[in-house]
Amino acid sequence: MQASANADPKGESAPVAGILAEFDGPGALKKAAVQIRDAGFTRWDCYSPFPVHGIDPAMGVRPTILPWIILGMGLTGLTIATALQWWTNGVDYPFLISGKPLFGLPANIPIMFELTILLSAFGAFFGALILNDLPKFYRPIFSSKRFKKVTDNGFFIGIEASDPHYDSKKIQSLFRQMGPLSVEEFHDTDPQGALPKAFFRVGIILFLLGLIPLALALKSRHSTSSSPRWHFWRDMDFQPVAKAQRASAFFPDGRVIRPQVEGTFAREQADDNPHLNQGRVNGKFATTFPMKLSMEMLERGKDRFDTYCAPCHGKDGRGQGLVAKRASTLGEGTWVPPSNLVDPRIEKMPVGEIYQAIRYGVRNMPKYGPQIKVEDRWAIVAYIRALQRSQNGTIKDVPEADRGKLK
Amino acid sequence: MNHPSPEVVLNDDRHLGPLGPKILRIAGGLGIVLLILGLVLGITGSGGGMSRFLFAYTAGFAFILSIALGAMFFVLVNHLTRAGWCATTRRIAEITMGTMPFLAILFLPILISVLMGYGGLFSWADHEIASKDHLIHLKAGYLNPVFFTIRWVIYFAVWMQISRYYLGGSVRQDDSGDPEITSRMQKWSAASILLFALTLTFASFDLLMSLAPHWFSSIFGVYFFAGSVIAFQAFGILVLVLLQRKGKLKKSVSIEHFHDWGKLLFAFVFFWAYIAYSQFMLIWYGNIPEETGWFHTRITGSWGGVALILVFAHFVIPFAGLMSRHAKRNLASLSFWAMWMLIMHCIDIYWIVMPNQGGHGHGEAPGVHFQALDILAIVGLFSLFVAGAAYIGRHCSLVAVKEPRLAESLAFENA
Amino acid sequence: MSNELSSVDFLADDPTQRAPLVSPDLEFKDVTETVCGVAEKPRPPKAWYVAFGISLALTGMLFSMIAYLVITGVGVWGNNSPAFWGFPIVNFVFWVGIGHAGTLISAILFLFRQKWRTSINRFAEAMTIFAVVCAGLFPGIHVGRIWFAYWLFPIPNQMEMWPNFRSPLLWDVFAVGTYATVSLLFWYFGMIPDLASLRDRAKGKIAKLLYGIFSLGWSGSARHWHRYERAYLILAALATPLVLSVHSVVSFDFAVAQLPGWHSTILPPYFVAGAIFSGFAMVVTLMLPARLLFGLEKIVTMRHIENMNKVILATGMMVGYAYAMEFFIAWYSGSPSERFVFINRAFGNYAWAYWIMVSCNVFIPQLFWFKKLRRNPWVIMFVVLFVNVGMWFERFVIAVTSLTRDFTPASWGYFSPTWIDIGMLVGSFGLFFTLFLLFLRFLPIVAISEVKGVMPQAHGHQDGGHGEVKEAAEAGASTNS
Repeated sequence: MQASANADPKGESAPVAGILAEFDGPGALKKAAVQIRDAGFTRWDCYSPFPVHGIDPAMGVRPTILPWIILGMGLTGLTIATALQWWTNGVDYPFLISGKPLFGLPANIPIMFELTILLSAFGAFFGALILNDLPKFYRPIFSSKRFKKVTDNGFFIGIEASDPHYDSKKIQSLFRQMGPLSVEEFHDTDPQGALPKAFFRVGIILFLLGLIPLALALKSRHSTSSSPRWHFWRDMDFQPVAKAQRASAFFPDGRVIRPQVEGTFAREQADDNPHLNQGRVNGKFATTFPMKLSMEMLERGKDRFDTYCAPCHGKDGRGQGLVAKRASTLGEGTWVPPSNLVDPRIEKMPVGEIYQAIRYGVRNMPKYGPQIKVEDRWAIVAYIRALQRSQNGTIKDVPEADRGKLK
Repeated sequence: MNHPSPEVVLNDDRHLGPLGPKILRIAGGLGIVLLILGLVLGITGSGGGMSRFLFAYTAGFAFILSIALGAMFFVLVNHLTRAGWCATTRRIAEITMGTMPFLAILFLPILISVLMGYGGLFSWADHEIASKDHLIHLKAGYLNPVFFTIRWVIYFAVWMQISRYYLGGSVRQDDSGDPEITSRMQKWSAASILLFALTLTFASFDLLMSLAPHWFSSIFGVYFFAGSVIAFQAFGILVLVLLQRKGKLKKSVSIEHFHDWGKLLFAFVFFWAYIAYSQFMLIWYGNIPEETGWFHTRITGSWGGVALILVFAHFVIPFAGLMSRHAKRNLASLSFWAMWMLIMHCIDIYWIVMPNQGGHGHGEAPGVHFQALDILAIVGLFSLFVAGAAYIGRHCSLVAVKEPRLAESLAFENA
Repeated sequence: MSNELSSVDFLADDPTQRAPLVSPDLEFKDVTETVCGVAEKPRPPKAWYVAFGISLALTGMLFSMIAYLVITGVGVWGNNSPAFWGFPIVNFVFWVGIGHAGTLISAILFLFRQKWRTSINRFAEAMTIFAVVCAGLFPGIHVGRIWFAYWLFPIPNQMEMWPNFRSPLLWDVFAVGTYATVSLLFWYFGMIPDLASLRDRAKGKIAKLLYGIFSLGWSGSARHWHRYERAYLILAALATPLVLSVHSVVSFDFAVAQLPGWHSTILPPYFVAGAIFSGFAMVVTLMLPARLLFGLEKIVTMRHIENMNKVILATGMMVGYAYAMEFFIAWYSGSPSERFVFINRAFGNYAWAYWIMVSCNVFIPQLFWFKKLRRNPWVIMFVVLFVNVGMWFERFVIAVTSLTRDFTPASWGYFSPTWIDIGMLVGSFGLFFTLFLLFLRFLPIVAISEVKGVMPQAHGHQDGGHGEVKEAAEAGASTNS
């Protein structure tokens, strides 16, 4: 590298920004730094291609506050993670997963840890850059050609002209006593040259363009539209499923619904006890239960009734369950209100018919056969009978001895 | 260069001298008295009976064993990594692990209880219990008195051989100054650390995990290892501080060494928390009955209080306390935290061992019933351990004077 | 610079004297010259073009397959009941694991004052970033409808739902996200001074501009170095527990489940050791040819390679320890399903995969016990390639054997990959190498300033007066602070 310091004619005319001295290695640099420090300069610095061990005390650099910034950022991360998990899973949208507490430390520690680290790292990275006043693409010292060695093998001390003790001649002679490789003044050349203007313009335009999709997303989040949601792949709209009673191009007989495979039978067909399974005796609705009634059976019936029937029919069977109430509030035109099970009409119904309603459904009521076991269906029938007795009961139904308690 | 030359170590006060017999007398006497007192309380039944005494003894034994094993790790890993910084302090670790023969003797009461088929400590050792318990029956190939004895003979053989080789070699180097000895020790360190890892793991399974024979955790060996390193780092810092207070090793051991010891202590406080959390969280999350029982007794009721103490005082508080550079470079605060961690490690062991007493490791275990007996056994064993270390170190130099990396150790600075 | 390396014994293991870290005939200038020279050459070696062409083609294949996957659905993979986690999770864990070596070399070895790291840390950090890119790809496409991938993040969405923070899969998002971010910051932060070197040497206008922008106007000021070193140290201290946490969290994906073979408490440290193991193997795989190709033998000496081999051996033993513990505890647990799963691993349907894993990860690295073998480039290459394979199979064994043999024999199955599965695995290597070759071409591949800092000249030994300065410096420090 050429050591000609005054190669730049334009730099010569620019105002002097300070004095730069180059030293031969880290040891010489440290020795010189001690002297400059003791001479009382304040706006000066050492420059080296790598951190020189022991330069900080030689220069009198005080420990940085960076660790405190990082600690603060770390604690912020911890707080954010804790608050985020507590608020989202514990308060705003609580839901139970595999019996875990909504907010229980063991399962929330990983994210607390990760966010603490993440924000601490941001603190370290951005903190160091900001404290170092970076990025800053132009510094007057860069105008020295010799200074390019600083990232290779050059060790420099630069004193800025703004230093209160600045006196060009004195400093130069001070430097010369230390046996430097060179001493030179550096100039404040045109700072505009650091980055082309177009760079900023392109940056701003790109930034603004980047805002457009965000703005569009924000707009659609806060307005309504009558057109259906836009989605990428329409394969879910056109699924190759066979719909009932349609023709099929797949099967040779053109039928979608498949005939029974030879040698098989449906579950209902294997019926050796129509009283129990169908609620029919000799083709007519059974009027008797196929099994002996018991208290346990009634208890079971109550349990199943409250689970499967009560949502519509109500716990008392009068057809005023939560679903029915909600439907009538909404005023749905197509809603058929559930039957009042303690109505005389149903009281007169044979048990087999009630059983069949449970098994196969009736009108709008879906079939519950697949969900409720045979014995439980009969238990529900028995419980409905009990409900009818209790709801339509009179004082006479109460044993004489207990009548007094009702009053 | 302005760094002290290895000569300063030669001129340092580096022998226990009259201090050795003094420690031996006081600590040895105290240990024997306390253990006899504890045994009397155990036999008479006023302190919870023989079973209680044996449990407290096992806790104390696990505690001192972990210190010695931590020392062994320190020696081996520093040889393995060709470390130079620790050269002036490694002898302390060598002496600490030199106590292995004493530990082997101290292990005899536990071994005898197993060989006698006594179920009050290890329920699987009792043939009566083992034959009725299906799970123990399934593990009988491993958990039986004969194999247990064989294993412990192997463990102690390995440990005594390693400690004899490394302490002996290092002491021989004090005279000859032969760097070849260091080379040989480095060469063997890899194989030694392998044996060390396996023996430590299975010893921790045998001594601590099998106290609750139904329970199992594959990380348990690592957990015991983390605790061991903490125990030894804390113990070593305290020993070095006390020796310096008595005017020993003043020139050989600098604040830079303490700083590094503190860093290792700090790192393993974190490592222990990581391992403890991994073990706890996975069992808590999986929530299957085979595993949760062990933790259930230990995190509910009064043992739950101890578990909380461990979370905060074994991790959170010392972690915050040891984080700063100043805390590690100030001997008062460093020795405070070393003392703190040594006690916490002891509580950790206590929390692992004692809930098994009375419950045979399953069923309802009683809550914390702290008894004089526990303290007598644990402190008694610790005193004997200190006496053992003083016995080993009574004649040899407290620093390896001809260690080839001494200059490097004296010169190093923490950036 | 001539090649007279034979005169220097980097491998000397003499306790009385440390062997030199880099060739002692190097000057500061040579380091800059060697490293920057790689990026400044008008044309890279021919081998670079060949490798880049192949990698780019594979990357193209990867992205075409991703496009096909997105259009068609995840059915193009072999994933099906009961093995819903097939290649995507295996590849994910594999690549995340590879990514661990960079942070380990940068951070943990830095904290342990292992100065030899300076020659290889940049290289390993870059590898980390690219491996994490490959890793992040797989869970991203595994969600199927990738345009909903933002549901992984806690953004209030149109359903007014929040993600489940108690799920290890969400921990993964945070852990891997944090890891990728912090690794990138760490890598870039360490590179700033070296980018400034390239800036100051750049001849072309574009090079000047780009290196200028990315070096942020670095001036080498001592006051800047002071904060820089502090920040670097703290980043290292943060990255160390982070690297432990990331693969631990990945292991939680498996270990929190009750599935036998997954639910084992040793999984977190076992995964971390395995990750370091595979990562070092990959660093050596890449470093061995790169140092020859780019003439770095004086900076990356055989000592560096040997040290890495020792780490490979050590972590390989840890992995072996974990295999043994899993096996022993499965037996010791007394639980029939635990016992069965491990017997099945070793002797069942996937025994071939299990024995590939054990041979590559435990048996073959044993060669490194021998000094001669761990210093022989051919043996090293042989071992590390097998380790790379073995570690992929480890994840395959864990994911697939347990899923296909769960508690209910009725739902047992056998997983077979489709050609898309295999193509994507191969394609991910293409992506990795494409990025890596670009890095080799355009960025400082060795931490120039850090290598200078560990050279003997850096301590001012040659110009004397060290003690004098130090005393004066200490006097100054007490008056100035």
